[in-house]
Amino acid sequence: MKPRALGAARPRRDPASRTPLQLTLHVRAVQALSIAALLLAWEGVARAGWVDPLFVPAPSAVARAFGRIGRAAFAGLGDTLLKTAIAYVLAVVIGVGGGILLGSVRGLRQATNPFVVALYGMPKILVLPWIVLFFGFGATPAVVYATIHGVFPILVLVTGAVRDVDRNLLTVARAFGARRWQLYWKVVLPAIVPTVLAAMRLGIVFCLLGVLVVEMFAGVRGMGYVLSSLANGFQAPELFAATALVSAASIVIVLSLDALNDRLSQWRGES
Amino acid sequence: MKIVAIRAAILVVLLGAWEIVGRTANPLLYVPPSAALPALGHLLVLESYPDLGQHLWLTLREILVAYALAIAAGLACGFALGFNRLVGRAYGPILAALYAVPAVVWYPSLMLFFGLDAASKIAFGFLLGFFPITLAVLAGIRQVSPQLLVVARAFGADRLTAFRKVTLPAMLFTLVGGLRTGLALTVVGVIVGEVLGSRSGMGSLINHAYGLFRTADYIALVVVTLVLIVGSDAIAGVIEHRAQRWTE
Repeated sequence: MKPRALGAARPRRDPASRTPLQLTLHVRAVQALSIAALLLAWEGVARAGWVDPLFVPAPSAVARAFGRIGRAAFAGLGDTLLKTAIAYVLAVVIGVGGGILLGSVRGLRQATNPFVVALYGMPKILVLPWIVLFFGFGATPAVVYATIHGVFPILVLVTGAVRDVDRNLLTVARAFGARRWQLYWKVVLPAIVPTVLAAMRLGIVFCLLGVLVVEMFAGVRGMGYVLSSLANGFQAPELFAATALVSAASIVIVLSLDALNDRLSQWRGES
Repeated sequence: MKIVAIRAAILVVLLGAWEIVGRTANPLLYVPPSAALPALGHLLVLESYPDLGQHLWLTLREILVAYALAIAAGLACGFALGFNRLVGRAYGPILAALYAVPAVVWYPSLMLFFGLDAASKIAFGFLLGFFPITLAVLAGIRQVSPQLLVVARAFGADRLTAFRKVTLPAMLFTLVGGLRTGLALTVVGVIVGEVLGSRSGMGSLINHAYGLFRTADYIALVVVTLVLIVGSDAIAGVIEHRAQRWTE
């Protein structure tokens, strides 16, 4: 299919002449065919010896390697996901709590704003060596670093959402005699739910990333450690298999959060 | 005015607390500002790391190459996906799913493939910068009003003119924002790559100082790297501001 330079201008040409179901099937077919073609081409290139199998193993070799590392990889993945879960809960609790606090208290927000922005923008990798120095090896530095990694996007988004809650709603609620806790429970919380969910969706990737980075930098267990030791041992098929496993796991986690998000927003009656 | 004073007070209190803790606690872990500043001085006069300039220059070059590649590939992919509905609908979700993978999982494979030198850092910086640029192009194209394009075509604009006069200005704001995010992530990618395994570059110096428990030097190196990062983002910010004014 030839790319059309002005496809956006004429959205109702060929795709719309098909029914939505046909279009979806068509898209799925293209996706499946492309992935199959990619894997086949990769297999062919590897078999033909155009690439060094030491660095780029064929998909079939990767699949076999998966059987070899399966048990260790799943153990590592479990370890990583456990640390991620702890860090994620901490990041969400601190981020949402701090966001509600900073969002409601204007003076506090203005006073701390430059510090929060600076910490949010600063690449956390620079403090990683210090955190490892401080907490040693093991699960603690991973949880701490991942929490720091995940908390700032959540904090910044929730702060903004609380700050932008419709003033009129608050005024009306107060006029009708709402108490402070009712104001938060009945007005602020429902208003910020979409942002909190979006922030949680963002935070999980940050937390997982943080755990993996620490495990690669100074790990003795977990998927990051598995990946970096496979790379150091030049075990390319096993490395590719392990990479595919973590990628699949994180895609599944994020897509299920997305699905949950959709459910919740349908339930709230937003489209 | 008052708020600035409060912010300054918070900063002073933080530095003061750091100084007090740093003086009393384990000097391997805590370096008070009064010790970190001289270390920064030694670093800047090239006493503690005489080849600082080379490492800084290497990191800077890695960032520039990775960013140039990320812009080229990101724009190409973004426009290919954005202007072709079938391609966009087929590959857009795949791209979004890949974006949900914490990028660092690719790094060991890149290190295996490209080795410990600059190439693996460039590849990782490229990978991190590529996604936000591509996604910004896609989002930008979706923002362009179809009516404007129809009108432009009706008045006889050819495709190139319509693209230049309608599509590009309408999406520029989003595009430039994506380019700025892309730069920030490219910088992070290069530095993460260097910290996780390298023989030269700022990340390797940071690792070296950390490995030898030279905590004061480590802090000084972090400060220098931060200046590099903040500087690059400031330049990107100025460009973003210019583009913003141009579209208004």
